[in-house]
Amino acid sequence: MTRAVPLATRTLLAQRRRLIASVLGVGLSIMLMLLLDGMWAGVRAQVTVYEDNAGASLVVVAPGTENLFSDSSVLRSSTVAQVAATPGVRWAAPVRTMYTILDLHDGRIAASLVGSVPGKPGGPWRLARGRAPATDDETTVDGTLAKRHGLRIGADLEVMGREFRIVGLTTTGSTFMTGMVFLTHAAVQQLLSAPGTTGAVLVGTDQPAAVSEALQAQGLTVRTREQLRQADLALMTKVFGSPMKLMVGIALLAGTLVIALTAYGAVVEHRRDFGVVKALGATTSRLSRLALVQSLAVAAAGVVVGLGLFAVGRELVGMWRPQFLILLTGQTITRALLAALVMAVLAALVPARRLAQLDPAAAFRSLP
Amino acid sequence: MTARLSRGVPLARRVLFAERRRAALSVAGVAAALLLVLLLDGIFAGAMAANTYYVRTGPADVVVSQSGVRTMHMSTSVLPAGTLEAAREVAGVQWAAPIGFTTGIVANGTGRQLSYVIGYDTTSGRGGPRRLDSGSTPELGEAVLDRIAADQLGVTVGDTVQVIGTPLRVSGLATGGTSIVNTTTFVSRDQLTRLRRPATAYLLVKAEPGASAERVAAGLRVALPNVTVQTRTEFVASESRITRDMSADLLRIMTLLSFGIALAVTALTLLTVTLTRLRDYAVVKALGSSSLRLVRTVSAQAAWTVAAAVVVAVAAAELLSLLLSRLLPTVQVLVTTSSVGRTALWAAVVGVLAALGPLPRLARIDPATAFREAA
Repeated sequence: MTRAVPLATRTLLAQRRRLIASVLGVGLSIMLMLLLDGMWAGVRAQVTVYEDNAGASLVVVAPGTENLFSDSSVLRSSTVAQVAATPGVRWAAPVRTMYTILDLHDGRIAASLVGSVPGKPGGPWRLARGRAPATDDETTVDGTLAKRHGLRIGADLEVMGREFRIVGLTTTGSTFMTGMVFLTHAAVQQLLSAPGTTGAVLVGTDQPAAVSEALQAQGLTVRTREQLRQADLALMTKVFGSPMKLMVGIALLAGTLVIALTAYGAVVEHRRDFGVVKALGATTSRLSRLALVQSLAVAAAGVVVGLGLFAVGRELVGMWRPQFLILLTGQTITRALLAALVMAVLAALVPARRLAQLDPAAAFRSLP
Repeated sequence: MTARLSRGVPLARRVLFAERRRAALSVAGVAAALLLVLLLDGIFAGAMAANTYYVRTGPADVVVSQSGVRTMHMSTSVLPAGTLEAAREVAGVQWAAPIGFTTGIVANGTGRQLSYVIGYDTTSGRGGPRRLDSGSTPELGEAVLDRIAADQLGVTVGDTVQVIGTPLRVSGLATGGTSIVNTTTFVSRDQLTRLRRPATAYLLVKAEPGASAERVAAGLRVALPNVTVQTRTEFVASESRITRDMSADLLRIMTLLSFGIALAVTALTLLTVTLTRLRDYAVVKALGSSSLRLVRTVSAQAAWTVAAAVVVAVAAAELLSLLLSRLLPTVQVLVTTSSVGRTALWAAVVGVLAALGPLPRLARIDPATAFREAA
């Protein structure tokens, strides 16, 4: 009988419209998990974009500074010459990095502000159009930010009370919560009324370990690119990690309940059939397996639908809000598959219990 | 007969809750989807409340900042020299207190916290912590930490922490200054000058008794044309708007997806209930009930499902908020009335759409089904 009658599949397929609704429900839950996971992967990839592209092996910062944008590092301008004179240093470039709030016509948004010396490293690294700022009244903004808020080359952008003319757009730089704005180092000094200071010194060297040691011996605080990346990731995980896990957990719960509802519905509707099966000698464990097979089938179909919905959703989100980078990694897919398996097993418990309690005499009664 | 049936037999509720386990699964499924929206909304509302705590609960009626700077969160402000003196001359100003402001790391061997560091005049206490839970105001070489941050670092009054790379003794503990993003640390103005910079970042202004904040702000705008002047209400609204604008897109995406899940669950429930009770509906139809009455029955079932789900989701969100305040004190979840209202509205739309599913099947019901033996 096990081989001959695919009871689990047949009872599931008996009501196609209901099956479609449940597969769609599970698919949406899987899609939600994939999107959250993908967004989180995107956030982690984007948050270190400046450190990854600034070209510096080492960065000299003020004591206690661990993140370039969250901590406000202040150094004397003379530090740049001191760093440049250190043996093994190929180049040293001052930068001011901080967050700022832009007041745009369609909303207030946070931006990562970078002030660099024209012609030196630390400024915009990949230009889609235009050029990097050359004078103290010019700015280059990231293309995603520009597209989202209708900023064009030649237009003015207000930063901390001063107007800057947009002269270039970059291809990368936006994260899902902040855009990127580049000014000259002198312009940021003026905005902060802080002449004679800089924020950090980017260091180019072929001997990072030796140079780092030499700089620290002079009393300077040095961070490697990797240390800054890890500090950014740690901060981001601290802020968003717990809420993100919570949301994924609730999506998992929603998916589990949808599968349970489907499998339970099928059992209730076909309890007379199951009663016949039990009266014919089927054991409780056979019926429990049946509930599990139904749950697994719905979960498997849900994964396929979820992946499809995710692909469509990712494209739509990318078109609607390009600042949301959503990555699909092998780990993300593995986690979704595991989640579906967990959902299926948990969801099977409710109908399995109902089947275990089923009275074989139900087979010989009329339905109420 | 139909009218009596309408009043006497709560058909919708009875059919829906005949299988209690299934009804519980349905309500829980929809509630889980709604909970996603409530929770995300609550987290952002919590962050908004925490971000605005310092100015919202402080004594200042007006806040003066650098031109073009309207917030503290993720902002840098430097006021031009002479701003304080000019502000004190404005009619209706009772007092004006300068504060220094920067962001930095507060750390010790066990952890690190991103922090606003506020330098205030410790003699007058203006611009300092609203209330000290324990300890005293900070002297040079000392800092007041927020209690949640201190707990997470495992320090208390008398211990030493690194504030922006400088070891400072914890002189006291305050409350209300820690959010999901950062905490708040208070030092004296002299100490902040040594840590970072001598500049005044913001000016806190108190209006004289009887003088309105709006009138004083207007006077300050005339006297100080090169800075931004906002009443406390305006400043708090500016701070709130950042969080709202930054979270709006994420909330829209989550709402849409949660709406989809809730819709699928509700539709699934109504379809299942309708299909398993087709014979009952046929009996009702054979007794003279109209198709409209059956439509009303399904609509009532949808209403019952989503209404119960909203109640469960709100209760779960409140419970999670309570649990999180114990387990993750930095994650503050505020379930607001407007959020519940919005979620209920979404849920109502879900109910209406889901109810459309079984209607064609109900319209086709043959009353004769009632007199046939069940298959």
